[in-house]
Amino acid sequence: MQKEQITDKEAICLLIVFVIGSSLIVGVGGEVNNDAWIAGIVGCIMAIPMLLVFSRILSLFQGKDLFDILNIALGKVIGRIVAIIYIWYAFHLGALVLRNFGEFIKIVAMPETPMFVSLLCLGLVCIIAVRLGIEVLGRTTTYFLPILFFTLVVVELLAIPQLHLDYIKPILGNGLISVLKGGFSTFSFPFAETVLFIGVFGSLKTKKSPFKVYYWGILISAIIIIITTIRNIAVLGNMMDSFYFPSYAAVGRIKIGDFLERIEVSVAIVFVFGVFVKSSICLLVACKGIGKMFNLKDYRSIVIQTGLLMIYFSYTVFDNSMEMKYWAFKVYPFYAFPFQVILPIIIWISAEIKARKNKMTI
Amino acid sequence: MFILAIIGYTFLAIYEFIPLYKQKLWHDFWANAVLGISSFTIAILLCLNVEIPSPEKPIRELIISIFGK
Repeated sequence: MQKEQITDKEAICLLIVFVIGSSLIVGVGGEVNNDAWIAGIVGCIMAIPMLLVFSRILSLFQGKDLFDILNIALGKVIGRIVAIIYIWYAFHLGALVLRNFGEFIKIVAMPETPMFVSLLCLGLVCIIAVRLGIEVLGRTTTYFLPILFFTLVVVELLAIPQLHLDYIKPILGNGLISVLKGGFSTFSFPFAETVLFIGVFGSLKTKKSPFKVYYWGILISAIIIIITTIRNIAVLGNMMDSFYFPSYAAVGRIKIGDFLERIEVSVAIVFVFGVFVKSSICLLVACKGIGKMFNLKDYRSIVIQTGLLMIYFSYTVFDNSMEMKYWAFKVYPFYAFPFQVILPIIIWISAEIKARKNKMTI
Repeated sequence: MFILAIIGYTFLAIYEFIPLYKQKLWHDFWANAVLGISSFTIAILLCLNVEIPSPEKPIRELIISIFGK
């Protein structure tokens, strides 16, 4: 396979868009209502140790991606079993993100159109992006991110007249335990999902990069998520939990004079691009994994079929939006815990032992 | 829909499988063939409105049985 390389800047942009992708529109924090912003902060703090683990794994084996590292650190047999688990996780996460997009389009934009049409349209774009490779995806994200930032900032400013900061009170009114539960939910969706970047950051240029990229990426995206959550709470109050897409509902309330209203499409732009990048990264990691498993010459040869399978899976994964929301906040944190915490820690410990043994033999 | 899926997959076969066959990339060819046959089967089942079981329900039930609602 030919070696692809991305710069730190491109990697940070990819990470930011990956993290804010679906979480900005679906919301974070689960059911903690007006304490969701604290849950965001707690989730970010919980994610820091795991980010250290992810970046350490990457810096121990510079230039290698997740599947190479699994082979080196865990051996051929166990490495392959864990690789299958991560291929499944990447594939499943990509399908879930596509489904979020499908539900969003079905509910707010095109209720008469079959959901399969919107899933297929975005899925095909993801397939093309992954076939073009991580370099193209990185450059595209770098060009688009300033537009997303601009949109977000303008929308935040326009929302100021609608803000009711007293909605944020009472702080910790639901108790500390519910905030911690919300924090755990935010930790697993979206922060710890960045575990999949171990499969991408083998393409980073310098050895110090993983730490820098992870921390800047998570810091910037956490700030964006927390500010957006505060805005949603201050506009919608305790009703926030009754919406499938709180950001969309909050921005829909913006009305400046009689001429600037119904600017929800701005939220949709950020969401569509975020979902595109997130699904593409998931598809890329799944294809790279399959490629390494079967010793393929290039992962690109299986992108179309894997992408189509992902689209079909996203179509059949949930029956309705209620199931999707229940899964995202109640089931997903526990389901994802082994992929995001347990396995990375096992890989890290084995990688450290392997790296020390190698040093001693040298 | 049924015919559309068949036409679509015929084009895909020409676009993907023939170059791999000509270059004699057998690993790539067979991996692609297995994935292609599975995706074609699912596409046909979806066209025939067959309900495909989702792993979401067993996973959800397993997690609820361990951690509660």
